[in-house]
Amino acid sequence: MLVTVFGSLIFLTILTVVSSRLDLGAFNVPLAMLIATTKAALVVGFFMALKYDNRVNSLVFAVGALFVIVFLSFTLLDTAFRGDLPNTTKGTIMEMDAAEAALQARQDAGPGAAVAPVPPPATH
Amino acid sequence: MHASSAAAPAVHYLNNEKTIRSWLTTVDHKRIGMMYLVAVSLAFLAGGILALLVRTELAAPGETIMGPDAYNQTFTLHAVLMVFAFIIPAIPAVMGNFVLPIQLGAKDVAFPRLNLASFYIYLIGAVIALTAVVVGRVDGGWTFYAPYSTSVGNGILFITMGVFVMGFSSILTGLNFIVTVHKMRAPGLTWTRLPLFVWSIYATSIVQVLATPVIGITMLLLFLEKLLGIGIFDPALGGDPVLFQHFFWFYSHPAVYIMILPAFGVISDLMGTFSRNRVQGYKFVALSSVAIAFLGFLVWGHHMFVSGQSAVSSIVFSLITYLIGIPTGVKVINWVLTMYRGSVWLQTPMLYALMFLITFSIGGFTGIMLGVLAIDVHLHDTYFVVAHFHYVMMGGNVIAALGGLHYWWPKMTGKMYNETAGRIAAALVFIGFNLTFFPQFIMGSRGMPRRYYDYLPEFEIYHQLSTMGSYILGIGLFMILGYLLVSLFKGRVAPANPWGALTLEWTHTTTPPDPHNFHHTPVVTRGPYDYHLAPELFADGHSGDGANVSPESVHRSPSEA
Amino acid sequence: MAQPAAGQPAHLKHYFVSSDQQFDAAKMGMWLFLITEILLFSGMFVAYTVYRVWHPEVFEAASDLLDWKLGGINTLVLLGSSFTVAYGIQRIQRGDRKGLIINLLLTLLCAAIFMGIKYVEYSGKFEAGIFPGGNFAPVGDYHGHDMANYADILFLPQFFSIYFVMTGIHGFHVLVGMGVFTWLVIRSFKGDFSPEYYTPIELTGLYWHLVDIIWIFLFPLLYLI
Repeated sequence: MLVTVFGSLIFLTILTVVSSRLDLGAFNVPLAMLIATTKAALVVGFFMALKYDNRVNSLVFAVGALFVIVFLSFTLLDTAFRGDLPNTTKGTIMEMDAAEAALQARQDAGPGAAVAPVPPPATH
Repeated sequence: MHASSAAAPAVHYLNNEKTIRSWLTTVDHKRIGMMYLVAVSLAFLAGGILALLVRTELAAPGETIMGPDAYNQTFTLHAVLMVFAFIIPAIPAVMGNFVLPIQLGAKDVAFPRLNLASFYIYLIGAVIALTAVVVGRVDGGWTFYAPYSTSVGNGILFITMGVFVMGFSSILTGLNFIVTVHKMRAPGLTWTRLPLFVWSIYATSIVQVLATPVIGITMLLLFLEKLLGIGIFDPALGGDPVLFQHFFWFYSHPAVYIMILPAFGVISDLMGTFSRNRVQGYKFVALSSVAIAFLGFLVWGHHMFVSGQSAVSSIVFSLITYLIGIPTGVKVINWVLTMYRGSVWLQTPMLYALMFLITFSIGGFTGIMLGVLAIDVHLHDTYFVVAHFHYVMMGGNVIAALGGLHYWWPKMTGKMYNETAGRIAAALVFIGFNLTFFPQFIMGSRGMPRRYYDYLPEFEIYHQLSTMGSYILGIGLFMILGYLLVSLFKGRVAPANPWGALTLEWTHTTTPPDPHNFHHTPVVTRGPYDYHLAPELFADGHSGDGANVSPESVHRSPSEA
Repeated sequence: MAQPAAGQPAHLKHYFVSSDQQFDAAKMGMWLFLITEILLFSGMFVAYTVYRVWHPEVFEAASDLLDWKLGGINTLVLLGSSFTVAYGIQRIQRGDRKGLIINLLLTLLCAAIFMGIKYVEYSGKFEAGIFPGGNFAPVGDYHGHDMANYADILFLPQFFSIYFVMTGIHGFHVLVGMGVFTWLVIRSFKGDFSPEYYTPIELTGLYWHLVDIIWIFLFPLLYLI
């Protein structure tokens, strides 16, 4: 059985490499994650023998995984919606510096350029 | 075991081996607990002295005893010491270590050597963190917000490493306790017969195991940010400082529950024992600890309402914050009900439990106020917040820790402290504490910002009251230190069960306990607070399993005995 | 502490009632430790996701700079080492000590290959001036990419910061695992393990599989997509 699992893992590794070479648009990332999760599940279930182990250990593992999801999703709740109120800017200091430098360069280029509109800070 | 004999047993855990080496290399959970007690008390002493310095500086406007730079470093060090070196290990590592295995009827924790290792890891972490004081200034508060923290001094390198290392100690302790609770319970000790102290330490341990690794990676990233400029948090390199706050509070908000959950456990045990009553709503109180542990992970963003995080996340975090009030309220109401139906015996530990009800409730309610988005924007970074978390941390954790210390002191040392002195000190602590922190609510709501070394004249009266209160509090705490030390040499010998408690550490062990805790593995046949079975239990002063359950006469007998 | 009473196995600690209780406790402790490891790495995965959501095109360009062939070989090598550990445990459960030792040595070999390939990858990047964060200063030619084109891409340094921290911490775990496996090989030669007692191998195996799982996620995230 261990050999079968090992074989499946190798197959999935090749599959994920091949699929990433194809352009599937928005599906590349979810597919890669799906394959990785399947591989992880195989390792956890059979190599780590969680499938045959005391149920408490499965609970421990599930709780760990759950809190990773909590951490990720609640952080994304902020970062993916950053700037949904107009009183904050999404640009970082570095981006604002870059925008300012671009403005300065344009001003140096000639007097006519000085009245050109200021480029907005790069958005994410 | 031996009813009414007030003489200490010939061999107990304190005297079975006497060399210094036997202490430093011990794997006995009781001795490790005692070593933690010494270490943690030293951290509390140092942090407390720093707090008194902070309050003295604020006694008058302008420079009083130190300049702004020294002030910033003083309050930062106070916070780091108190949070990481004192409050987090205080109840779990001291009382958890000492009491939890005995309450479970186990001979030791599941991994005794790991337990000793976590003590030394704690010490190493504390020393590394303190090196920061010598190396360079650390003055941004205990939250180490980037990018400020990475832009000043090299002290931050040491303090982040120190916190990282102390985190490992916390993880290992929590891991040890979870396994101990799952695998080491005595025969008959079902989950619904666990003392509530065990339940709360169990919930705490879950939080420790799940949250602490994240502060580990956060501190590591901050360390690398300072050392290599990896640009994850530093906005000048394209990083996002708000992301640091997410990382930091993902640990540090649950850490607040690492601090308060053990206190809930102590208070539950005190309420049951000193009310001579079953703790009402046992299952609700037990499971509310787990509920708080879980919900505590979902609210960290309420520290960041003014950080520029997205409005949608602020709203979600604010809503979930209100939910925390439910399990907490369940606990408070059940404690009050326990007293209502019981016969309250006002010994020193119970005085602390009553104090806790008042101070913690104030801290909890103001916490819900701060969870309201609009109010928080007004009160953020004012003394209102300072007062709130001191009411929870000090009025919650420290008061409960003092109650627990007075409760288990006879068991730990075999000696009784002076009850009168205990009551006077308790009064001083209560008065001093409230005088210190209540004025801070008022000045905070009127706009006094936190972390400032100077203030406008209109705040002078509040600051002076606060400083006076802190001195009274200090006197009370030093008095406790004094009479506890005196009791070691002059205290009367404590009987096995001076409080008439029903948990295993009182009913089935000698005072002080045997090196292996029990002569025979106990068999548990009842719940931890089954005073309602009194007619059977108290018929001849012994319970069915041979345990003495009536309070032994050292104090005046309680009226109901 | 007290010696085990007569008739009890030598490995049984006095504070446990039975070998089963001791084994279960050790295993549960290890699982708890593993979830702390998962949460430790989760911080890096969160950082990766946040920056990827903000700058997907930068991360796609950056992953082209990593050599998927080397990463792929490393993935297979680590999977192989996981297999040998699992197979070694099956051997000792059936009393085959020689089989255990062979499998542990194979595991060590795989780990060494993994670290060797990592060394090649790291040194190649350092030569091309690919350093984490603020030190990012790409020069010359790297695997057919003219690095001058990459010098001014905003947030490319963040990708490599995340890359180095993630693979660095992961590599550190591999090194720790190699140390523990060496110790286990020595103990196996001494004949410490038997079908009745192989707890240290079981626990180290769990740890090793987790290190493998982390890599299973790192490989597509960093090298492929």
